[in-house]
Amino acid sequence: MTAPAVVGRWVSAPGAAEIVTGDARYCPDIRLPGLLTGKLLYAPHPRARIARLDVGKARAIPGVHAVLTHADIPGENSYLYAEPDQPLLAEDEVRFQGDAVAAVAAEDERTAAAALAAIEVEYEPLPGVFDPLEAMREDAPRIVAGEDNVIMREVYRTGDVEAAFAAADVVVENTYRTRWAEHAFLETEGAVAQLDDEGVLTVYSSCQAPHRDRMQIARALGLPESRVRVVTPYIGGAFGGKDEAHVQMHAALLAHAARRPVRLIRDRRESILTHVKRHPITVECATAASRDGRILAVRARAIADAGPYTNATYEVVNKFGEFIGGPYRVENLEVEKIGVRTNNPISGAFRGFGAPQAAFVYESQMDDVARELGMDPLELRLLNGVETGTRMYTGVVVRAGDAMKASLRRAAELIGWQGRTAQERQPAPQLRRGWGMATILKGSGLGRGLGDHAGVVLEMHRDASVVLRSGAADMGQGIVTVMAQLAAERLGVEYDAVRVVRADTAQAPDAGASCASRQAMVSGNAVLAAADSIRATLLGLAARKLRRDQAELDLRAGEVWADGEPSGLTVRELAERASAWGYPLHAEHVSHFEYPPDVPEASYRFSQEVFQFCTQVAQVLVDCETGQVQVERLVAVHDAGRMINPGGVYGQIEGGLAQGIGYALTEELVVSEGRTLNPSLENYVIPMALDIPALEMDVLEFPEPVGGPLGAKGIAESPIIPTAPAIRNAILDAVGQPLYELPMTAERVLAALDRAAPGAEDG
Amino acid sequence: MSEMSYMAPERLEDALAAKAEHGAHARVVAGATDLILRMRDGVLRPDLLIDLRRLALDAIELDGDALRLGAYATHGQLLADPLVAAHLPALRQACSEFAGPPIRNRGTLGGNLVNASPAADLVPPLLAYDACVILDSADGRRELPLAAFFTGPGQTVLRPDEILTEVRLPLPPAGTGAEFIKLGQRRSMAISVVSVAARLSLGAAGEVQVARIALGAVAPTVVRAAAAEEALQGHAPDAGRLRAAAGLAGGAATPISDPRASREYRARMVPVLVRRALEAAWSASREAAAHG
Amino acid sequence: MAEGGIRCTVNGQEARFEAGPERTLLQALREELGLTGTKDGCSSGDCGACVVIMDGQPVNACMVLAPQAEGARIRTVEGLAAAGGLHPLQRAFGETWAFQCGFCTPGMLMSCVALLEANDRPSRDDILTAIAGNFCRCTGYQAVVKAVQQAAAEMRGGEGPA
Repeated sequence: MTAPAVVGRWVSAPGAAEIVTGDARYCPDIRLPGLLTGKLLYAPHPRARIARLDVGKARAIPGVHAVLTHADIPGENSYLYAEPDQPLLAEDEVRFQGDAVAAVAAEDERTAAAALAAIEVEYEPLPGVFDPLEAMREDAPRIVAGEDNVIMREVYRTGDVEAAFAAADVVVENTYRTRWAEHAFLETEGAVAQLDDEGVLTVYSSCQAPHRDRMQIARALGLPESRVRVVTPYIGGAFGGKDEAHVQMHAALLAHAARRPVRLIRDRRESILTHVKRHPITVECATAASRDGRILAVRARAIADAGPYTNATYEVVNKFGEFIGGPYRVENLEVEKIGVRTNNPISGAFRGFGAPQAAFVYESQMDDVARELGMDPLELRLLNGVETGTRMYTGVVVRAGDAMKASLRRAAELIGWQGRTAQERQPAPQLRRGWGMATILKGSGLGRGLGDHAGVVLEMHRDASVVLRSGAADMGQGIVTVMAQLAAERLGVEYDAVRVVRADTAQAPDAGASCASRQAMVSGNAVLAAADSIRATLLGLAARKLRRDQAELDLRAGEVWADGEPSGLTVRELAERASAWGYPLHAEHVSHFEYPPDVPEASYRFSQEVFQFCTQVAQVLVDCETGQVQVERLVAVHDAGRMINPGGVYGQIEGGLAQGIGYALTEELVVSEGRTLNPSLENYVIPMALDIPALEMDVLEFPEPVGGPLGAKGIAESPIIPTAPAIRNAILDAVGQPLYELPMTAERVLAALDRAAPGAEDG
Repeated sequence: MSEMSYMAPERLEDALAAKAEHGAHARVVAGATDLILRMRDGVLRPDLLIDLRRLALDAIELDGDALRLGAYATHGQLLADPLVAAHLPALRQACSEFAGPPIRNRGTLGGNLVNASPAADLVPPLLAYDACVILDSADGRRELPLAAFFTGPGQTVLRPDEILTEVRLPLPPAGTGAEFIKLGQRRSMAISVVSVAARLSLGAAGEVQVARIALGAVAPTVVRAAAAEEALQGHAPDAGRLRAAAGLAGGAATPISDPRASREYRARMVPVLVRRALEAAWSASREAAAHG
Repeated sequence: MAEGGIRCTVNGQEARFEAGPERTLLQALREELGLTGTKDGCSSGDCGACVVIMDGQPVNACMVLAPQAEGARIRTVEGLAAAGGLHPLQRAFGETWAFQCGFCTPGMLMSCVALLEANDRPSRDDILTAIAGNFCRCTGYQAVVKAVQQAAAEMRGGEGPA
């Protein structure tokens, strides 16, 4: 006899009822007495000196309660994701279109807009630097005074790359380019700040890292962190774009200055112009292979455009280098990683942290190698793929790698890889059909050597209802559901009995940022550990009551089970007993991301060591006259270690595929001389419902042996990573022409076809 | 900050009188889907808004051998209308690919015309069907061929005292086939990169009696491809002739580059899309002739 | 403007609010009537987060001038649940994970409710067409199709999904 497990079951998210009724409150929905509207004045130029800034007239407008410039910031005037080089409010210079120069708070939207219009700023436009290569030159203007334009330049080497290239039968060498991509979370950035009677500043924040927000807010205001509280209401998506703080400090500064609550929400245009984008990266990559299909060496040089400020450039470019060899046994690898400042849009964290750009390169290289060798792309990947126990080029040992080849085989089976050639390749004179695959690995967690931990507080009440407090922000990715399931599973209560308090720094310990596919693992482990401590108390009481050995007992579905049968004793009775006799049913635990001690010294810096594997296969139809690509089928096979919340896992995969199709084909912020030409959802072209084919998804479960709660691993980032190269390889298969630039717009596809048949466009 | 006034009169005369009084300072409101954006961006700052919603200007009806489309009819109404489906399939196609359902339920025929976007999706099919526009004012009414309505991007011959109230089209003759093709970056919520409408009306011997080809998003206004039309006039088409005509259509295009596409790409798409539209229109016209 | 503000019916109740033509129906619903279930994703008609049903048809509330709502019957996400509980579509959205962050959900629900009221057995294409103006960045649209078909089956009376 078994009781239904909570883990692995399709459950609704804890906030589902609020979301479908419209009761869920996101930042823009928060109403407070006396609430003011905040607005920021943004730079009209990508680079300019501020010759004069006068807010006198704005301050004089009735209904305007605060107008702030950099001079009004009591604490530090900078963001602090990594380096403090981005001002909250510009001082003497603006360095991209997203720099703010002043902040206002007024009675209403209209008055705030009038105040912005009344601020007098004289700009002296300066020549901007928009080409990373130009920015790297010695004589280039410094984007940030006193700082090198080159944010990072590192080389990682392993093996003997030169010898491997010299011995290669085949060398494939190409230059790849990717462009700026926009998160387009549906809820734009926002914050609501309120100063209470006791001098505590509460900030409701649409964010990924509430405790880091708290630090940044305190730092900007010159307040102790004990006087700042950050609460996460419902959050309308993030995907890395709300990892760094955005307007939280501005809202707090305004509320502090105005002594009234302030709500500051970016509109869509402001959102697109200001927050970080996926880094455009130009990559020269060479792959050496033997005639029998072994990948001998990889050499790559990547230059990433950071925009003016450091933000997450180090992390993103470092991760790019970490994954540039792909999920393959590559013994000789050299990668040079360069991140450069420009006056272009700022780049930073976006689902995958450089891994999507890397995958586009290495999976395109794999298909180009396969063509050179006349080999089946599936065979080439199976031949070179990592397995459990493989030591990667990073020095990391793959501890659970069987999913790599299993996902390849399963995806090939689902698409009908072997039988594909029987299908019509040219259903009309101008149409060509093709199939392409990509397989990837992506690590979870921040990386070895970095502080990567999460705390939770768990409490069971006398009625066996449970409250779970965590600092982990849920932006929709589902960590709240996962934590509730894990707690219910371990405490032997129904899923509905667990209430998760949305992240609030006044109630919960720091869980770090919800990024890097880490929360399900690190917060998941914290929940299990905290629950185990309460569970031990409950089982101890049960053992005494039932006169059984504790080891023979289990808690399931609200009851104590003994020898696989329900005993009749309920968890509620135990909770009542504990409450009556003063046994604590309260636990706090901080978990640290686990890394086994088996990495050699020369390993890759900050390497991730728990891997998500997945394979995607695309079937496309290319219109050779217009260059338009239709994705007809998309198969995705992902390894989740063990699924805790299937609804969330499939949701993450489906959403990642949709984002991946956009990244592959249409999504591009068009930037000219530092100016974004399409800052709207009308012109930044994201696929809509009719553009996405029926998605064929499957999930594999190869339990993660180290650090995965019940064997689970993070799933959030991997779904978007293989999509673009899978589609690229399908286009290659369809038309015989490789593409090396993202997105693969109709025009770029047509240009590739022209390379095959010069002069064809005239005919 | 000046306050804006708003009226939703129940009689056309009142709307026309207000327009006569306020001229360019008054804007007519139909679906408002474009107006709201332009007011927010500060491009338009009217003193008065005259809403047409109470004037019952959304009728779609047969009047002898003409079709009358009320200017206030939404894309959604046109899409669902049996007369449009029966007689103006290319217009229906354009409506079905316009934006998405919620915008289709607000955006109107008149708005699509008066905004005078070079990429306006309803204009190519209306030009292909030889539409006329009815412009009313307190001084009276004038009827103009749609081709004479547009003067540039966002510009028309509509006078400040006039309101576009109706679009009139002759019923296409038997043996007519038409096609609308939109090249966009996605299947809904897309602005046309290039759009083409083509209409062929065949005579008894299969010869082209009327050829109409209109191109969107490749010139300051939607334009007709006159040389291509002439090349078809009076001839019984075949694949080669259609291709040759399509090749001539490019002459009417003077596209620009924008974030959606380059000038070169647009220019290159014109003959491709015109050929496809002509092939489809020819096939439909032969079918219509056979069943007519 | 009509004296005494704009009168309309919102979720079956008489409603009255003050709003000039420079405001939109979306702003009026959220700020004047406190109905913040309807979301603002772009204020440009591009995302569908603000879709409400106006006189029987789904429309973007950000694309309606507030005074144009005079006399209209408007339904928002707040009006979907009846005294007996959630609308079948609301339940199905939660059960099938047809959303993650939930910000697109109010508009998505209204587009789908309008569809179900016109078509009790919608095909996949019918559903995708109905939501072709609703943008979802987290999940995509397949789960929405599943939710709508599940709700349609339930509303027809206990048949399995179509």
